[in-house]
Amino acid sequence: MDCIKQGEGTTFVREILDRYPKEQRFLLAILQDIQKRCGYLPREALELVREHLDVPLSRLYSMATFYKALSLKPKGRYAIKVCDGTACHIRDSRGLVDALEKLLGIGPGETTEDGRFSLETVNCLGSCALAPVMVINDVYYAKVTPEKIAGILRRLEGEDDGDI
Amino acid sequence: MRVIIDGRECLARRGEYLLDVAKRNGIFIPTLCHSDALPGQSSCRMCIVEVVEGGRSKTVASCVYPVLGDIEVKTNSDKIRRIRRTLVKLIHASSPAGKHMEDLLERYGPLPENRFEVAEGEKCMLCGLCVSACEALGTGAISTINRGTAKEVAPPFKEPPEACIGCGACAHVCPGDAIEMKEQGGIRTIWDRNFEMLECTGCGEYIMTRQQQEYIKAKDPEGTVELLCEKCKRKKTVDGFRDAFKNTGF
Repeated sequence: MDCIKQGEGTTFVREILDRYPKEQRFLLAILQDIQKRCGYLPREALELVREHLDVPLSRLYSMATFYKALSLKPKGRYAIKVCDGTACHIRDSRGLVDALEKLLGIGPGETTEDGRFSLETVNCLGSCALAPVMVINDVYYAKVTPEKIAGILRRLEGEDDGDI
Repeated sequence: MRVIIDGRECLARRGEYLLDVAKRNGIFIPTLCHSDALPGQSSCRMCIVEVVEGGRSKTVASCVYPVLGDIEVKTNSDKIRRIRRTLVKLIHASSPAGKHMEDLLERYGPLPENRFEVAEGEKCMLCGLCVSACEALGTGAISTINRGTAKEVAPPFKEPPEACIGCGACAHVCPGDAIEMKEQGGIRTIWDRNFEMLECTGCGEYIMTRQQQEYIKAKDPEGTVELLCEKCKRKKTVDGFRDAFKNTGF
């Protein structure tokens, strides 16, 4: 969801900033809040954070590109994360990624044109007993096989009211 | 505090870093990512040494190892030499075209066949000294971005950095000569940005960028930025002394 494009402007960033003292130790928490609210970190938001905390923009960019939980590009309404940790990897998480790539026409780190799905691989979700694991928004899908994926996506689209 | 480095007794203040103690006593420890003007980074690991304390030996990066007790240090043991050779191989694989390799190959080369994948043409070994220099002397215009194999040094959004003042500290400290800085006709180009150079009022040599002068002014609004190169500054000081002592009979 592109908060800024939707005419909401940057007021939500100010609301988030107002909740934190002007101290650098809150930097990650602030970025996480913006990510949660907006689905990604808009550039305008980073500029506001820079002003608020008086840190170089380079520090923000460094953090935003370092953490997998932060994204500079808008994520899809359904953010799909495929775990590619050791346990999931040996249980063929790559096969899941291949199936998703084929079905959605996007690779890891990309978002579908309609803004509905985004795909990424993460390194370990700590749920190795459920390998291979896939997480869509906050819902975990355990022991997924490439064959099950089409069904999972179809069910999501069923829930979808279509207005994104 | 008593430290024995390679069999030589050296004195150290409590908390002083091992590398500084060794340097002061004329004992050589190789470094790549270290500048005396900046805090130790321990990213290149070339300054590793063996520290023996209470009968136990451990390998530490001397640039960030504070002396807290009486210890014995070996800077060039078989173990250290073996690890350093592996480090050189790794550094060569990551940045074979860097200027630092010339010196390394002379000291440790020729390298046996490298089982690591070599990044041909790469000059940067990602030691981070440029970022550290920019934070300390400049404005924090660059940082490391991404992580793991995609990590690199770049300005935000990989665009010409707005915050950069063109001081060139990053290029100056870079051991690999990996940051391109060009000067032509009074214009300095670095990080894809052009900066107007100001001349020394004494000899006309280009000494700093206009943005640099403005940055210094903003930091110390009361002070005046003297546009003099090091040579002319020295000359001015000497002339000042001579004038002061001219009529005193000294």
